[in-house]
Order: sequence, then C-alpha cells, then structure tokens
Amino acid sequence: MLSIRACSDTVSRMDTPLVRIRDLNVSAATPHGEAHILRGLTLDIGRGRILGIVGESGSGKSTLAACLMRLPPGNITHLTGEIVFDGVDLLTLEDAAMAAYRGRRMAMIFQDPMTALNPLFTVGTHLVDVLRRHDASLSRSAALVRAEAMMTSVGIADAGLRLKAYPHQLSGGMRQRVMIAMALLVAPDLLLADEPTTALDATVEAQIMVLFQDLRRRFSGSIVFISHHLGLVAELCDDLCVMYGGSIVESGPVAQVLRHPRHPYTRALLACEIEDDHEGRLVSIPGDVPSPIVRSVGCVFAPRCRHVLDACRHTVPPLADVATGWRAACLRAAEGLL
Amino acid sequence: MTAAPFAQLEHVSVVFSGGLRALDDVSLSLERGDIVGLVGESGSGKTTLCRALLGLDAVSAGRVTYDGRLLADELKRDRLAFRRRVQKLLQDAAASLSPRMTIGRLLDEPLVIHGLTAPDARQRLDEICDRLGLPADIRGKYPHQVSGGQARRVAMARALVLRPELIVADEPTAGLDVSVQGDLLNLLLDLHAELGLTYLIVSHNLNVVRRITRRTVVMYLGQIVEEAPTKLLFATPAHPYTAALLSTNPSIDPKRQRLRIVLKGEIPSAIAPPSGCRFHTRCPHVQPRCRTDQPDLRDTTDGRRVRCHFPLMPTGPLTPTGETADAATQP
Repeated sequence: MLSIRACSDTVSRMDTPLVRIRDLNVSAATPHGEAHILRGLTLDIGRGRILGIVGESGSGKSTLAACLMRLPPGNITHLTGEIVFDGVDLLTLEDAAMAAYRGRRMAMIFQDPMTALNPLFTVGTHLVDVLRRHDASLSRSAALVRAEAMMTSVGIADAGLRLKAYPHQLSGGMRQRVMIAMALLVAPDLLLADEPTTALDATVEAQIMVLFQDLRRRFSGSIVFISHHLGLVAELCDDLCVMYGGSIVESGPVAQVLRHPRHPYTRALLACEIEDDHEGRLVSIPGDVPSPIVRSVGCVFAPRCRHVLDACRHTVPPLADVATGWRAACLRAAEGLL
Repeated sequence: MTAAPFAQLEHVSVVFSGGLRALDDVSLSLERGDIVGLVGESGSGKTTLCRALLGLDAVSAGRVTYDGRLLADELKRDRLAFRRRVQKLLQDAAASLSPRMTIGRLLDEPLVIHGLTAPDARQRLDEICDRLGLPADIRGKYPHQVSGGQARRVAMARALVLRPELIVADEPTAGLDVSVQGDLLNLLLDLHAELGLTYLIVSHNLNVVRRITRRTVVMYLGQIVEEAPTKLLFATPAHPYTAALLSTNPSIDPKRQRLRIVLKGEIPSAIAPPSGCRFHTRCPHVQPRCRTDQPDLRDTTDGRRVRCHFPLMPTGPLTPTGETADAATQP
C-alpha cells in the first residue's frame, strides 16, 4: 500500500485511475455451503469516466458495488484483495476513516428510491442532513437554499414546495431525482448507481437517462453505472465491464467491446439481445449460470462456451490485455475470430 | 353473418371504488391464433384489461364475450369449464407455486381441481412435461430448488394440461436473464403453432413484443391509444405516445440508436384524468383542440386504430364514418 501511495504522488494524478481494484475475492456463508461471490476481480475506474457494469443475476455486480462502499453483505467469510481509491486501500482503513469516505468522496444511488428514503422525514430534511454532516456549521436555512438549488438542477419543478414533501408523496421518478440530488450535493469523486432506472416506467427511465447524460457535462467525478440492460450502458457509458459468475470476463472502452467482443460470453450475450423484427429462432445460451457454491477449477464460462478447449476446463484464464485499456479473460481471446 | 370474434371486449369500462377509472371504453378483439402484445406503463390499465378478459374483475360498462357469448353467462353456466379455456401465466412464476408443495403435487393440482382423473389426463401431463423439457426428477423437488426458467415451465405445464384456448401471459420474461429468455420465447412460439393457442402477451420489454407478437396494443391511462400490426407500429408509430414510448428503447448498435423523445412529467392520476385527450399534458405535438376534445379511437387506411386528433402519419386517418379527415398530418 505504501508503494502505491508513493507512486500516486509522483505520477500525474490524471494518468492514474481513480479506483484500482486488484484480485478482489469475496466469499459468503450460505445454508448450502460457502459461496464464492467474487473471484479475483481486477478493474480500473478511470477519472471522470462512466463505467458500465453489466451481467446477469448472480454475476456479482451488486456485491462489487457494495465492496466499493465497503458495505459487504453480513454473511461474508472471506474478503481479500485491494480497492485502492485515489491511492488509499479502502480495505485496510479503520472504520472511522472509511466512514469519512462514504457520502463524502463516494455516494450511491439504489434501485428502489422508496426504500432508500426514510418515510418519516421530508425530502428537505434528507438533503439538509447530507449537507450538515459535511459542514456542521451550516445553518438549516442556508442548507435548504442549497438543497433547493440542487433539486432544481436535477429537474424537479417547484423545488421549494417539494422540499416539504414526504417520500410517499412523490412519484418514483421524482424520488430517484431526490436520490441523485442527495448524491450530487456532496460532490463525490465516485458516484455508484446500482440499476437506478430498473424500478421506473419507460418514459420516466428515459428522463432519468437524460439526467445522467447531462451529468457527463456537469459532474467531474467518475460514475459506475450497474445495469442488466446493455442498451442503456451502450448509450451512456465510456467503459464497459462484463461480469459472469463472480468474475470479470471482459472490460474496455464500450464501443470497442460491443463492436468486437473478445470473450465468447460477451459475444453470446450480444447475440441474445433482441434488436430487430427478424423472423426465426431466438438465441439463448445453453446451460445454466454457474452455482457460486461449486468452486470452479477452470474458466467459469467453460461449461456453456461454444469454443471451449480442453485447457479451459482446468486453467483459469487471466484477464489479459487485448489492447490498451481492453482486457479479456479467455485463453482464445487473441484468436479474434471466435 | 360473420362469426363472432373468439374473445372480445366491447366498450368496456372498469371503475373501482373511489372513482378510479382503470379502464375507460376499451374495445379489443382477439381472433383464434392471434398473438397480441399489450404495452403501456404502470397505471395504464394493462392488468385490469387482462383481469376483465379473464372475468376476474367485473366490468362497470360494456361487455366481454367469447365466441359471441357473454362471459358472465359462461361463468354462471360452468365456471370451471371457462377457466380451462382461458389460462393466465403469472409474472412471478416461482412465487405462484406454493413453497409447501412438491413440483409433482403442483403439477397434479390442476387435474385434481378440474376432476381430470382419467389415465389419459395423467399421460397428457407427462407428455407436456416432456415437451417443456422438465426432467422427471423435478417432481420430487420444491419450488425453491428449481431455477427461474424451470419454475416458469412448471407454471406453463399447469396451464397447458387443461388444454386452454387462450393464454394471457403477464410479463413472460420479466426477471429472466437475457441468456435464457430466448429459449422461453421459442417455446411459447412453438406451442402456439403446435397447439393452435391464442396469446395475449403483456410486457414492458418492447424488444420481446416486437419479436413475437403480430399485433400490438398500446395503452395510456386506461385507454387504448393505438393498435396496429406489430411491424407497422414499430416502423411508423402513429400516436405521439407510441412514438415516445418506442424511442425510449435503447439499442446497443450505435447505428440504430434513435433520437429519444423525452416526455415531460409523469402519467397523470387516473382518478382525475386530464380533459380532452388524456395525453395532452405530456404531448410534444399538443394543439388547442386536444385540451378540450377527447379524440375517438379511429380506424386508419393502413389498418390500425389511433386515438389522436393529429396522428403522426403520412396518410390521413379516416373518421369513424369513413371520410378522410382534413387535419391529418404532423409537420
């Protein structure tokens, strides 16, 4: 950790990623045995970039987000690796030091804004609390002025009136805007959004996506956007990280990965997307997602892979560079013609 | 005299206590063998339409008929016989299976309820399980021990063993991972062809509706705003709401990414819907007339129905009497 810190002082800050995740492993106890939720993740989150994380259920997307906030699920039995945030390994911090990062340098937006807001407090109280936690000398009235300005900037009409509303009096889209306003008030370096539009209706989802597009211009921090919807990620993000069975199988610039995916899973996932009104059979990936209980010895995708080799079944393929900033975890990634 | 449609809603309204008009003057026909998609946001009335069609919600006005006979009469005559004809696939298949019963008992349950104890019924069940790819050993398991895809197949087997004519599928792929949804949709299409089923498919997933349905119905605030052959609807939506809804569907292919039409505000309350056209408060093309005059659902020359004074179409719509309307196109 010390060497990394020294390093970040000498290298220009913009050249180093905001977050460097190295060999992150997470296991948890379940009634059926120990589950390997994350298997050796290595990932960079670039400064000022929007990283999309996609994967099917059980791929480990949400656990990764929880680990970034260092709020892993309670049944964790094993957590190793590094999460280096601007030169500091979050996993080694004292609890009090970590608490200073949350809601200050990093903020999170959840899928369901109703359960993320306290039903007993007004929207204004939520926002004022966030501000005054950072600056205890700030008066409530001064905080309300800033809260109202932020509410307006995330597209809430009549912000002054809405500050007096309780969460249940707002619509789903409005609540998600309040969550985004709360996150932006602290001007975090890292904004984590875990399926922020999944609970919303299509036309409201479109409004929130426009707000995220707008953040590209106004917000200088990095955004991690977790979604199971490849289309949303393709439109919004700079970088893409594809997860499968608790592993990262491919990561890189979104346009390149989607145009020429190097990992067979990325390719298969793209093939499953229904994009047009063609006739004929729909595509799916045969087999089931891997059980996190079973410790896999080879490539986690090998049992479902069309291009599997013998070696894939007993070698875990490293996440190796395909090009600058583009990595794939496949023994055959270099072949490029899979 | 032409034969009555297989299933038909005629000017159906459903008003709940408190004045919530969940369905307002909805007319829809399903022919045998149809695959119809029903789209719209929450609160648009999709679920209530299904429930009215299944006889689960009483209609406040209008009538529901099957082969020209009133649904209410059919239910009175032989409730179970009607339930066999029309089956619903619930959105959360796993939750619809009792956690206390084994899959084997759950599969037998419809046979018991409907008194189908003859050996041929049991044989049919075995054939269906086989056809759906359910392994024999699944019968000893409990619902929590099977995958989401398998739970859906169990629910489908329970419906199909009764030899239904119409299947109402509520979000058939919701909660399924994209890598397995193709399998399930292929199966639905195969069964449609093999068993001559009629489908009404409710879905938020526009890609699914586009791929598997023949006709699409778009609802907004308890009304049908557009109904058209699916290909036509997706290629050239006529109602401004349809256009906005379709534009929200992002594509992974940059060449196909459309300009998103972002509507202002959210769906108004169905308890006090807006005057005139219900969509006028959010419509990007609103005209003064839209605020006061409620548009009718009118047939157009290209084979659709649109509820809009100024539809987005190259050719003029027809008025209910068959004349071409003057103010037809949008700039």
